[in-house]
Amino acid sequence: MIDVARIDHWAASGTGFFHRASVISKMLFLLFVVAAAVLARSPYPLMAGYFGILLVAVLARLPWTRMVMLSLYAVVFALLYGISLRGGWWLFALLIFKAITPSLAMLTLIVSTPYPKIFSFISAALPEMLAAGLFMTYRTLFILLELMDNFVAAIRLRGGFSPGSLYKNSSNISKGLGMLLVKAVERASRLYAVMAVRGYNGSMAQQGGGGLHREDYLPLGAGSLVLMLAILWR
Amino acid sequence: MTHMHIPDGILPVWLWALGFILLSLFLGFTLHRLRTMDMKKMIPLLGTLSAAMLVGMSIPILPGYHINLSVVTGILIGPSLGFVAAFIANLILAFMGHGGITVVGLNTLLLGSEAVLGHTVFYLFTKRLPVFWRAALATLMTLFITTTILIGIVAMAHIDPEMLHHGEDHGHGTTGQGSVSTFAMLVLTIGAVGWIIEAAITGAVVRFISQVKPDLLGHVLHEKKTGE
Repeated sequence: MIDVARIDHWAASGTGFFHRASVISKMLFLLFVVAAAVLARSPYPLMAGYFGILLVAVLARLPWTRMVMLSLYAVVFALLYGISLRGGWWLFALLIFKAITPSLAMLTLIVSTPYPKIFSFISAALPEMLAAGLFMTYRTLFILLELMDNFVAAIRLRGGFSPGSLYKNSSNISKGLGMLLVKAVERASRLYAVMAVRGYNGSMAQQGGGGLHREDYLPLGAGSLVLMLAILWR
Repeated sequence: MTHMHIPDGILPVWLWALGFILLSLFLGFTLHRLRTMDMKKMIPLLGTLSAAMLVGMSIPILPGYHINLSVVTGILIGPSLGFVAAFIANLILAFMGHGGITVVGLNTLLLGSEAVLGHTVFYLFTKRLPVFWRAALATLMTLFITTTILIGIVAMAHIDPEMLHHGEDHGHGTTGQGSVSTFAMLVLTIGAVGWIIEAAITGAVVRFISQVKPDLLGHVLHEKKTGE
């Protein structure tokens, strides 16, 4: 989760096929893959979908090695659920690919689309307060991550972490979290005040995702293919 | 840590669809309640606490367990805004590939109920109790209740592995009927230790804020807009 800053950099700096595609086509791509995961009764179409999306990511010059690593994060929780179902390897494979295939599709979307564009697309369907809250959360997340980095460095330099002393460590971490919250509220309030002075009234400057265009063939084609596989291979 | 990291396509459609319907109803109700609040105070706090929940969820304190800070959120910004913060945190989490998109509704109901219950229990406790203990006990009680709800949801959704095999004999070692009790045991075992740590952290954070910036605990949000 802490890779937010890196994801943001990839999304804003890339120039590949997926970066050039419209937000709506990439959202449809994600929707198709999620629908495929919902409909799939066998791990094979999802397995094929996973490697298909991976191939697309390589072709579109997305950071595919990091995407694979991040998508595997979902495996832990799928395994926990699989253990509770007491299934065999076939069930485990189904659960794992139901977890990592939509996760990889989601990663494909977020490493090729800056968050403000995603939020502005979603904002078209959300009440103004939720849209403003989403945007403010996104901005504040970076403030918090920066404060947290500073806090971790400071606490290490001052000997705040002492292995074996759970009480001391918990106390310092809690005070650090409290301080982070107080500082983040102050900085977010200042940020909001500046935005309000500059004319921000709660709505995004650009709403919606625009129409489809020629470069949308890759996300739309890849998403449709995964969905068709899941429907036909049952 | 009472939100589900269950991927898309595992839960039955009726269950996650019901989650979205209930989420729409609760969200509509909370947004209606919040309409009189001052946006200048509300939006930065909403953003900060939603982001804090996301940061909290990135700190693993036990294998498979992370803190949520949802009770802190409820205590600081109240039940209505806490519920909205839970929705925002879950939506962003889903857009980071952390849990399925289809479970956003159910996850928001779980996380949002932590904010609502945490706030309610914290303010129900007598003020003679130190702030640390009020927050810590509110967290413990809340996490116990919401974990029980989580187990209930999984029990309702629990899928027979044979159903996933679509009636075919794949002969790959399925042992038969799934077990809710195994899931409950896993969640409650890891959870019980996690609740205590999260309760201690919540208690200390709320105590720290009450000492350093007590107005954050004073429900400034519920004051009417200036000039009204």
